[in-house]
Amino acid sequence: MRAHPAEYELVAPRTLPAVLSLLAQDSGAWLPIAGGTDVMVQYSAGKLPSRKLVSIWNLPELRRIEISAREIQIGAGCTYTDLRAHETINREFPLLASAAAWTGGIANQNRGTIGGNIVNASPAADSLPALMVYEAELLLVSAQGERRVPYANFHIGYRKTQLAPGELIRAVCLKKQFSGYYAHAHKVGARNAQAISKVCLAALGHLAAGVVDDLRLAVGSVAPVPMRLAETERIVKGNRIDPHLIQLAKAAAAREVRPIDDIRSTSPYRAAVTGNVVAEFLEQLNTHGARSENSKNVLARWNDLSSEKAAEEILPCCGTKAWALAMTNRRPLLDESALLSACDEVWKNLPESDWIEAFRSHPRIGDSHAPASATAQSAAWSGEEQRKAGTAGDDIKAAIAAGNRAYEEKFNRIFIVCATGKSAPDILAILERRLRNEEAAELQEAAEQQRQIAQLRLKKWLSK
Amino acid sequence: MNESPQGRAKSEISFTVNGKLESVHVYPMERLLDVLRHELALTGTKEGCGEGECGSCSVLIDGTLVNSCLIPALQAHGAKIITIEGLASDGRLQLLQQSFLDCGAAQCGICTPGMILASLYLLKKTPQPTLEEIREGLSGNLCRCTGYMQIFEAVAEAGRRGAAT
Repeated sequence: MRAHPAEYELVAPRTLPAVLSLLAQDSGAWLPIAGGTDVMVQYSAGKLPSRKLVSIWNLPELRRIEISAREIQIGAGCTYTDLRAHETINREFPLLASAAAWTGGIANQNRGTIGGNIVNASPAADSLPALMVYEAELLLVSAQGERRVPYANFHIGYRKTQLAPGELIRAVCLKKQFSGYYAHAHKVGARNAQAISKVCLAALGHLAAGVVDDLRLAVGSVAPVPMRLAETERIVKGNRIDPHLIQLAKAAAAREVRPIDDIRSTSPYRAAVTGNVVAEFLEQLNTHGARSENSKNVLARWNDLSSEKAAEEILPCCGTKAWALAMTNRRPLLDESALLSACDEVWKNLPESDWIEAFRSHPRIGDSHAPASATAQSAAWSGEEQRKAGTAGDDIKAAIAAGNRAYEEKFNRIFIVCATGKSAPDILAILERRLRNEEAAELQEAAEQQRQIAQLRLKKWLSK
Repeated sequence: MNESPQGRAKSEISFTVNGKLESVHVYPMERLLDVLRHELALTGTKEGCGEGECGSCSVLIDGTLVNSCLIPALQAHGAKIITIEGLASDGRLQLLQQSFLDCGAAQCGICTPGMILASLYLLKKTPQPTLEEIREGLSGNLCRCTGYMQIFEAVAEAGRRGAAT
């Protein structure tokens, strides 16, 4: 039966204390509604457990993200769009950022909240496995005060939680303790957006001297609540990853889950896929370990070079001498992430004349001749970067050449774009748009493109 | 609207729709979709699934793309709302609307208002989206007729024509 709006009450207090005092009345008669992406669906179907609703949408106390040295506190009313846009979440909790990107389409990401997703307690919610592996804690608030509980114990059964009557989730707390971890998320569903997962994995792994010294695996859609794969973790931890270990882990993961048959998938399929996504993760963790070992070796050698030699070696990554020198002076740089963040800082603070020097080290887009000043390494990388763009038809090539000329006339320097992976029509559209920029805005855009090129080249250098 | 079975009070709810201040006397839990269509006769906003899956009822609230079937009227109090009726001005189509026409991106038309508002939201954030970005931006909008390719092309074309500016 469809709901009739006349049968429902909805109020919208302006502050959190006012909401909490309302929730304290009538022992749980009031149902909170945030962005409505779950509650309104149940409402329209006439399936809401209560006819008295209190809006908590956009309460300032619930929409903050606070960062301290130890942890990040994400207000329960933050939307998936808020999470996707947040720099610290992207950098330090990438599994949560990617889960946010998979949750619904854009309109639902603009309204769906992390707290709502947790309380709705769907076994298929994509963000919940990420909270499991990061060992999130929840701040629960009521008129009586606040308490902090581990998220791992929050779901006590199918769509049942520890939340007491009158209580709300105020914030989700994540400890900043995962730098150096390899993170991997995999959703298996009929399509990416708006599709409910058949299996959703969030995984974190850490290697020390080739041995897995920490591993966290959590999956959604394979049990009444999102679950950690504790047995699989135990089998893998303390060991080197090899094909035999991967087989053991795959079998353990498939055994450990408790999936159901439903309209989306069957239980044996879900169990088998869980094993497969775990195996895939372990293979990637192993490759990543070998690569980061290699990067550390490249950097250790580079850290010991004379300043002159070190600057010379890194110069082709960016093409400006001041940058190469400043990077050299920042040694020792011990791993890839230290190198990449040093690159960003140095690049951002260079004067315009040094930016221009970097731009000049590139050939024009669509031009095979590198400038005379470019190093052989830089010229070779330019060739790789422009490979995709080089396969265009003659008309596109001619349009890009004309755009290059117009750009050089207007801005008096060559057009810079991070061409890796971009087709010639993509580049032409970007060129035509940027031709309309004012000088100051265009200089910033060109500098951002050069920053991206330098990042990609540094990664190539480390993998040599 | 229908008679009220239990007679809970209606509220006075005000917001701006397409630049015009509107005040409506409705139940707080009425869906914004119904308020727009029934109270304000803005029937360009369509109901498809009624559960946030299809995007036909997309509107912009304070510049943000939302499904109006999932918004209780009270939560729109004080908001600035843009519906499909707010795009054309002085009898001239907005560039996105013109691109949809030029590229054959509308067939039965039910999804079109939502597609255009989702596209407008995308272009405001990403003026020249790649095909991948267009697919993601429209992933919450379903179309049963076109097979999507003409729609994607229309959005790319609108981007090239500078529809976001």
